Amino acid sequence: MSLSMAPAYPFSVTKASHIHGCFNPNTSFLSLILRWRQRCPVIRCCTTRAGSVRTDKNYYELLGVSVDSDAREIKEAYRKLQKKYHPDIAGQKGHEYTLLLNEAYKILMREDLRKEYDVSIGQLRMRSGRNNNVMGFSSWKGPFRPEAVFVDENACIGCRECVHHASNTFVMDEALGCARVKVQFGDNDQNIQVSVDSCPVNCIHWVDKEELAVLEFLIQPKLKEGYGVFGQGWERPSNVFAAAKSFNKQLKRQTRNFGSNVQATVEEETPAQAEARVTATMKINMEKFSTIWNLAKKFLWFRNVE
Amino acid sequence: MAEQQYIVVSDSETIGEEKSSSAFPEIAIGIDIGTSQCSIAVWNGSQVELLKNTRNQKLMLSYVSFKEDTPSGGVSNQPSHELEMFSGAAIFNMKRLIGRVDTDPVVQASKRLPFLVQTLDIGVRPFIAALVNNAWRSTTPEEVLAIFLVELRAMAEVQLKRPIRNVVLTIPVSFSRFQLTRIERACAMAGLHVLRLMPEPTAVALLYAQQQQQTVHENMGSGSEKNALIFNMGAGYCDVALSATAGGVSQIKALAGAAIGGEDILQNMMQHLLPKSESLFLSHGINEIKLMGLLRVATQDAIHGLSSQNSVQVDVDLGNGKKLCNIITREEFEEVNHKVFEKCENLIKQCLQDSKVDIEDLTDVILVGGCSYIPKIRNIVKDICRAEELYKEMNPLEAAVCGAALEGAVASGISDPFGSLDLLTIQATPLGIGIRADRNNFVPIIPRNMTMPARKELSFTTTHDNQTGALILVYEGEGKTVEENHLLGYFKIVGIPPAPKGVPEINVCMDIDAANVLRVFAGVTMPGTELPVAPFMEVRMPTVDDGHGWCAEALHRAYGSTLDLVTVHKKV
Repeated sequence: MSLSMAPAYPFSVTKASHIHGCFNPNTSFLSLILRWRQRCPVIRCCTTRAGSVRTDKNYYELLGVSVDSDAREIKEAYRKLQKKYHPDIAGQKGHEYTLLLNEAYKILMREDLRKEYDVSIGQLRMRSGRNNNVMGFSSWKGPFRPEAVFVDENACIGCRECVHHASNTFVMDEALGCARVKVQFGDNDQNIQVSVDSCPVNCIHWVDKEELAVLEFLIQPKLKEGYGVFGQGWERPSNVFAAAKSFNKQLKRQTRNFGSNVQATVEEETPAQAEARVTATMKINMEKFSTIWNLAKKFLWFRNVE
Repeated sequence: MAEQQYIVVSDSETIGEEKSSSAFPEIAIGIDIGTSQCSIAVWNGSQVELLKNTRNQKLMLSYVSFKEDTPSGGVSNQPSHELEMFSGAAIFNMKRLIGRVDTDPVVQASKRLPFLVQTLDIGVRPFIAALVNNAWRSTTPEEVLAIFLVELRAMAEVQLKRPIRNVVLTIPVSFSRFQLTRIERACAMAGLHVLRLMPEPTAVALLYAQQQQQTVHENMGSGSEKNALIFNMGAGYCDVALSATAGGVSQIKALAGAAIGGEDILQNMMQHLLPKSESLFLSHGINEIKLMGLLRVATQDAIHGLSSQNSVQVDVDLGNGKKLCNIITREEFEEVNHKVFEKCENLIKQCLQDSKVDIEDLTDVILVGGCSYIPKIRNIVKDICRAEELYKEMNPLEAAVCGAALEGAVASGISDPFGSLDLLTIQATPLGIGIRADRNNFVPIIPRNMTMPARKELSFTTTHDNQTGALILVYEGEGKTVEENHLLGYFKIVGIPPAPKGVPEINVCMDIDAANVLRVFAGVTMPGTELPVAPFMEVRMPTVDDGHGWCAEALHRAYGSTLDLVTVHKKV
């Protein structure tokens, strides 16, 4: 299974990953054609160019869901993307992309396949810092509620009390040594309240649902720009609530200024922007994919004639 | 014949371009050609509208009468009396006959119809003829269907005041790809371009998705997922589908279907009423045909009557002073047809099992088609699905055509400001597709109920040392051995480098796009090299034309097992 995602990115797969016989009969990609395509010098040159643009998108990123998302979220995301890219709507050019979506959906919806897949991408997930963004956000169990729980990780001392009382809601981030909300209302209300009350430093807060995304985004450590060896490292706002307020203000100002001042400096990417970017990347990749496909076809025919 | 098909083929390949090039896309119309009745519908800009013929009928009888010099179909023509349809001059049930060979049990059963269906029982097309001026005039199911479609098209063009080209047709789930090419051929003959061929229950699923989305809009409730079991049984076919619907997207989880329907029920009843009828009718004399017509009409009335009454009386004048006078009860009717009902039961159970949806999770049970009025059918469906009530928001006879019209609008790129067309059906493959390998076994590559568009590949290898060629025989179906399945086509891979058996790797990949076009790719690689040893093959299926049972036999005679393949068992 380890290579199951490789053929999905024909323009960037390294040659080493295409050793003979290592493609899996279970994968539904036309790896043999992709393999041939790779041999063409024309494609090779596209490969390097496209390679710099491409992102390490796994099935989770393809569907735009977090790694711990449940079946309902995956389904929802899958349907949303299908509505955009299904050939019935997007025309024939949506074919390749929809195939990817179907494959991703099939794997992620089946518990056993998903586990296997998680193992195969596990290392990748740990290494790439970008993915931590996805991991930092909590998911919801059951319907949305107006309030959500949020751990101020700055204040958290890592006592594990909350994890002990409501283990389906809170998790311990061993790397950072603090607790975090994994699933909103993953346990019953009583257990969650006990957790909140038992926190010795009162770092678990009830916040508005609308605020949650911003808070969870800001609390994640961001890479700090450094000067030489100085000032590098990870940082996060010391008062996350104040930061959220100013962040929202900034956001409002940005949307106001968007028309007139295009060059407004964007300090940080909002979740909405991130999503937009992901969609745009997908589109670019998709177009690229079809052009390369046509090119490859032409080239192959041409070579055959020779 | 071959060129004709090519035109159809190349037409459907340009779907993508057509869409982007025209700024004002033509809205494809939806057509539901039933075994007995037919209807046509179109998205009129705000909703689906069923077109009516000059007699103000929404549902037209699917038949073509060859009585005069020019054949006339059920769209414009109206039989003055029901018996006229059964006089031998009219051909109907073309949907049951199209694309079938004469060894097919459905064709065998059609020999009892009041027109000529002659079989030689060797696996070729049956000879079909209508009685014109006391002579049997030959025709084909495709021709009959095309004549009928031309009438439908003319009627729609007059009413919509624009030329009609693109259509979405509903088809039974159990249709093989070979049968689909016959339908496409008939459409091409009628000057129509098939945009989509939609299994009937999935068209119903799309209509359901639209209805559910509208209720969500009204109530502003949450668009939670709804599982619906759709049971569609008409005169010719019985289809079951399970769809998961949310936010206007209906995802087909499983499909099941068989060629059983009202026609079988009717024939069982005729046999029951007049046990000696079969041998009598096979002679196809004028008097026998007349008699058969009489019996058919009377039986039909009786079956319809039994849907609301517990018993009906059947009176048929058999001529020569003989009379058939019988009272049939509902119990009797159910006993006579118990095999048909059993089959229905099995289809529903199979569909539920394949979909992996628990019966408790079913939100709605939808029953459509002409046979949905039969109390026994209603009870079977209710019992299996443990449903107290059946879904009521649909007209059982119009649901499929409405769904087809919606798909026509969606696939034509039409959007609706009120979101009524914010819809999508994610189809699944109704039958498995694979190749012959491991001696005479059918090895599926694309399994049944795989989400479309679908693509999958498998590896095979040679069975003999220094085998330089391999024969790829593509089949469709569910049987374990190839004989139980439909042959779609075949091609040969040549230029395999001499090597011990089991060394060369032959990759076969299948790709089905959203328009249900199947492409088969095959190529050879040798271990240790990445280069393919020869250009790979890309073949659009089906390629077989007629007598497809024969091709496989002839190939076997010519090559024996010299070009055989075996599957490669990979360590995963």
